[in-house]
Amino acid sequence: MSEQPFTLAIPDADLEYLRKKLDVVRLPDELDGAGWQYGAPLAHIQRLLAHWKDGFDWRKAEAEINKLAMFTRDVDVEGFGTLNIHYLHQKSEVKNAIPLLFVHGWPGHFLEVRKLLPILTAKSPDHPSFHVVAVSLPGFAFSEGPKKPGFEGRQYAEVLNKVMLALGYNEYVYQGGDWGHLLGAHVAHQYGHKHVKAWHSNMPCYRAPKLLSNPFLTLEPYYSAAARQRISKSAKYRVTGSGYFLEQATKPQTIGYSLADSPVGLLAWIYEKLVAWTDEYPWTDDEVLEWISVYWFSRDGPAASVRIYHALTGGSTHDSFAGAARSTIPLGVSYFPKEIIQLPKSWTQLLGNVVFESEHDKGGHFAATEQPEALAGDLRKMYGKGGPAHGVVPGRNGYD
Amino acid sequence: MGSWAKPFTVQVSDADLELLHKKLELATFPDELEGAGWDYGAPLADVKRITEYWRDKFDWRKTEETINQLPQFTTEIEVEGHGSLNIHFVHQKSAAENAIPLLFVHGWPGSFLEVRKLLPILTAASPDQPSFHVVAPSLPGFGFSEAPTKPGFGGYQHAEVLNKLMLSLGYNEYVYQAGDLGHVLGVYVANAYGHKHLKAWHTNMPTYRAPTFWSNPLLILEIFTNKAVSQTLEQASRTWKKGGGYYMVQTTVPQTLAYSFADSPDGLLAWIYEKLARIVDDYHWTEDEVLEWISIYWFSRAGPGANVRIYYELTGGNKHDMFEGTKWTSVPLGTSYFPKEPIRFPKSWACLIGKVVFQAEHDKGGHFAAHEQPEKLAGDLRMMFGKGGPAYGIVPGKDGYA
Repeated sequence: MSEQPFTLAIPDADLEYLRKKLDVVRLPDELDGAGWQYGAPLAHIQRLLAHWKDGFDWRKAEAEINKLAMFTRDVDVEGFGTLNIHYLHQKSEVKNAIPLLFVHGWPGHFLEVRKLLPILTAKSPDHPSFHVVAVSLPGFAFSEGPKKPGFEGRQYAEVLNKVMLALGYNEYVYQGGDWGHLLGAHVAHQYGHKHVKAWHSNMPCYRAPKLLSNPFLTLEPYYSAAARQRISKSAKYRVTGSGYFLEQATKPQTIGYSLADSPVGLLAWIYEKLVAWTDEYPWTDDEVLEWISVYWFSRDGPAASVRIYHALTGGSTHDSFAGAARSTIPLGVSYFPKEIIQLPKSWTQLLGNVVFESEHDKGGHFAATEQPEALAGDLRKMYGKGGPAHGVVPGRNGYD
Repeated sequence: MGSWAKPFTVQVSDADLELLHKKLELATFPDELEGAGWDYGAPLADVKRITEYWRDKFDWRKTEETINQLPQFTTEIEVEGHGSLNIHFVHQKSAAENAIPLLFVHGWPGSFLEVRKLLPILTAASPDQPSFHVVAPSLPGFGFSEAPTKPGFGGYQHAEVLNKLMLSLGYNEYVYQAGDLGHVLGVYVANAYGHKHLKAWHTNMPTYRAPTFWSNPLLILEIFTNKAVSQTLEQASRTWKKGGGYYMVQTTVPQTLAYSFADSPDGLLAWIYEKLARIVDDYHWTEDEVLEWISIYWFSRAGPGANVRIYYELTGGNKHDMFEGTKWTSVPLGTSYFPKEPIRFPKSWACLIGKVVFQAEHDKGGHFAAHEQPEKLAGDLRMMFGKGGPAYGIVPGKDGYA
């Protein structure tokens, strides 16, 4: 099926079912003074639950989401038949705007692009403008997910590239963090130069250097305190904050039962990350519940979304970059202080051909939500007149 | 018998049963990838089948009655810095007056019920083998024991509860048997009360912190020279990679997981069943068996979210291993190896735990040895503590014979 406009309309029956489930919620207790030490605090979850039952207006949130230009289309994936893919497509009034593919991660979704849209599509002689496409990854939000095993980096990249080509964007640029970053490496590897001309990541990480191939990079942490400091942040995440990753990479079905059956279980599992991974971002209850609702009401259910961890790591037998060699297309990176995985900045060149680098003093993992101006500003600098990736898409340099 | 112990019967309220059934009526399942089998976790067909059985056929009241045939009690135990906890336990005495007092400690996702099949064997009085008085508690936060209310209830706090329980029953000197977390806590009990109260102990999951080149150079060298040893370690590493997700979550964010456990019966079922089904040796769980096991968690006194906190407390939130603050002790130790125990270390490493006086190896059985192979496990205890055995008469005046 070719492109169809998409209107979000969750059936009343689904809302009623959720209400029934919320009515029979049973909460655990909590250790005295636990704070955030053991996970999402009880008081927060109680408050969010109460608001979900009595204050949160899904229909209002839905109406706001429907103001966005959303579509679906069937995308053929070799060996997997067709998947019906949901995406947002916001054009700029600038005809020669740069086509930009924005890719979310987990526990994110396409709405993370929301705050970027007005900035990136704005017309001005002083900065470039973009046509923005934000795809819901297969198995997330309103995109169909694969029904059989073997849907890996190559397949995700195929879907993303095909959506852009179908929209008439034979050449485009790419922005992502979290899985958006990891899949960016796959897209760059598979379609670099031919279709994707440059990419940007707000979570630049890659494999660590090997002593024999990159002795200086490997040894840097030994003499650079700054490098060590960055690594120690990653180590903290690995040791105390990555349990979800191993579980989702090895037993996505097991955790899936809880996520599908318990709205409060889903809420806690995701909310814990929304707070832990951001830089004091003042989440409102409505914001959190809208976020969770996209998962709860997702087309394939919340359990489908965590399969990507298993798919990209071979069930935790390799890293997510397997099969994605370093591409030479221009790469821009933005460093945010509260990002969960931080590596020595000198290692970024192992990831790609770094032409743009920017560091900020505020912001975390969900950069597009927390620091949209900063992130959009980086893209404007990277692609604007005089920028290192200016004119990288022939005929679409972002200015009319 | 301790004067403060009160008889206990399991009596789940009608309201709790009703809420469970309301939830089971509303159970919402995910889909599953084609041909997934066990590759992604507990299979959908299994979880659905067992959940539907739970909803339509499982008779909790009948199960409750059967459980209540076990002699159960509760008693108040003071724990330094944590006030008093009401502890639930099974206490089955032998007809033999000089039976050896034995403390049996379950792990996760186990319960006091794991002692069930051992009881008739261990308490049987005979001139041919030693007999035991058996005490099997619910660990704090598990089953029908109260949970600690503040952070910091670690290995030594658990050991304090276990030791005080035995003392309260008049067992000033006793022996100990366990696997899983019960084994880990055994190390703490041996460290804190070894020789004085704990006279000997036995484990069916003999592990400890790994040796280092500096502490045990010969054991490290053995990794390179002994194929069996390196293969065991490789297997352990693979098992960890594939099956260690639960551990990483439970040691770091037990509270986040608690919301799912407390709210979703089939979510709780799937998380636990994934282990029950996979780490046993050709053991065929019936639906009733699985559900009885899960029900202990669902209806636990402190709620199902409390039990996983022990992972956090023992590891400092995954900052160190579970044995932090313990050392090798000279308390006599017996070890039994079952082939499908997933958490295995080379046999030569058992000497790192304690003074190994007994070792047995079996050709059948997995992680839940007491439940899967009660005769074999009880047989090992009889050999270890019986006449001619390496720990015979270890408890003065209670050699186990009438």
